[in-house]
Amino acid sequence: MNLRVTARLLVDLLLAACAACALTSAAADLLAPEQAFKFSAMLIEPGVVEVRYRIADGYYLYRDKFRFTAIPRSAGLGEARFPPGEIKDDEFFGRVETYRGELVIRLPVKSARGFTLKAISQGCADVGVCYVPLTQTARLVPGRSSGESVRSEGNASRLLLRSQEAAPSR
Amino acid sequence: MKRAGQIALLVVAAVSALGTGIWLHPWNRAGAPDSVNVTRLMAASLPDMEGKPRALAQWRGKVMVVNFWATWCRPCLEEIPEFVRMQEKFGKEGLQFVGIAVDNAAKVREFAIKYRMNYPVLIGEMDGVELARVAGNELGGLPFTVILDRKGQLIGTELGGLNEQKLTAIIQPAM
Repeated sequence: MNLRVTARLLVDLLLAACAACALTSAAADLLAPEQAFKFSAMLIEPGVVEVRYRIADGYYLYRDKFRFTAIPRSAGLGEARFPPGEIKDDEFFGRVETYRGELVIRLPVKSARGFTLKAISQGCADVGVCYVPLTQTARLVPGRSSGESVRSEGNASRLLLRSQEAAPSR
Repeated sequence: MKRAGQIALLVVAAVSALGTGIWLHPWNRAGAPDSVNVTRLMAASLPDMEGKPRALAQWRGKVMVVNFWATWCRPCLEEIPEFVRMQEKFGKEGLQFVGIAVDNAAKVREFAIKYRMNYPVLIGEMDGVELARVAGNELGGLPFTVILDRKGQLIGTELGGLNEQKLTAIIQPAM
């Protein structure tokens, strides 16, 4: 075997090794869902909640998977107002709308008292991994300037069953 | 002599690079024994699409591909037709796919019929996520696949989509 052939073999082997490394980065570098989909919520004016998701690069959220509830329910959440997302025709799901980057959703609320907002979202990473529905909560108190997310439930699966059942059928 | 030395150096470098690549591969890393509790996974029992409880241990003795998936997970749906094909092709040789759906039964049934799934699908719902965590899937991402040899020893795990080529490379030594 001459040197040229050996060098060629080396290049091939390095390429194979790099391919294996590339595969690693796909799944091994995945963010935890709370990091991929950073959530916060605040009362921006009486009767209006602003929910904000900072979606990391390479990740996206599905519009039709959001569920918002107030605890107690008597706080009276109205219908969420979403900005237009990215619309795609999906071979499995049909027409889907997704969000990337910064997402701001507004929710009308009747209550003048404090309440806890429970937000369920579901998203995926472009590398081909989807997260189970994620539940994040924020305590919102009128009169306080910021109702930053007080708790983000890392274990999103706890509410999976209910959120899946509540999801409208396609 | 000098030339032989160069060749030797190149070969050593190449082998180390390849070795590093293989070592870094997800199935090796995720497959570290401390992150996967095969015993707990194999002890699990979940209802099938008809609601009958099915113990995972019943497929011991086969090369098992346990795939956690959901109908709302697009990358999960992409790999299922390949699994159906591989079950058809290698089932007689002892390859057994088992799907664990992190989903509800009605949606799973509808999908399974449409895509002619030819292997057992168990309805995991919330328990499916917990079981996937036990099996080493800490982030709760889907699809997630655990591959066991005939003795029930772990031979690979994969977070994210698999295709026939990739999966064949993992199962071949065990077949």
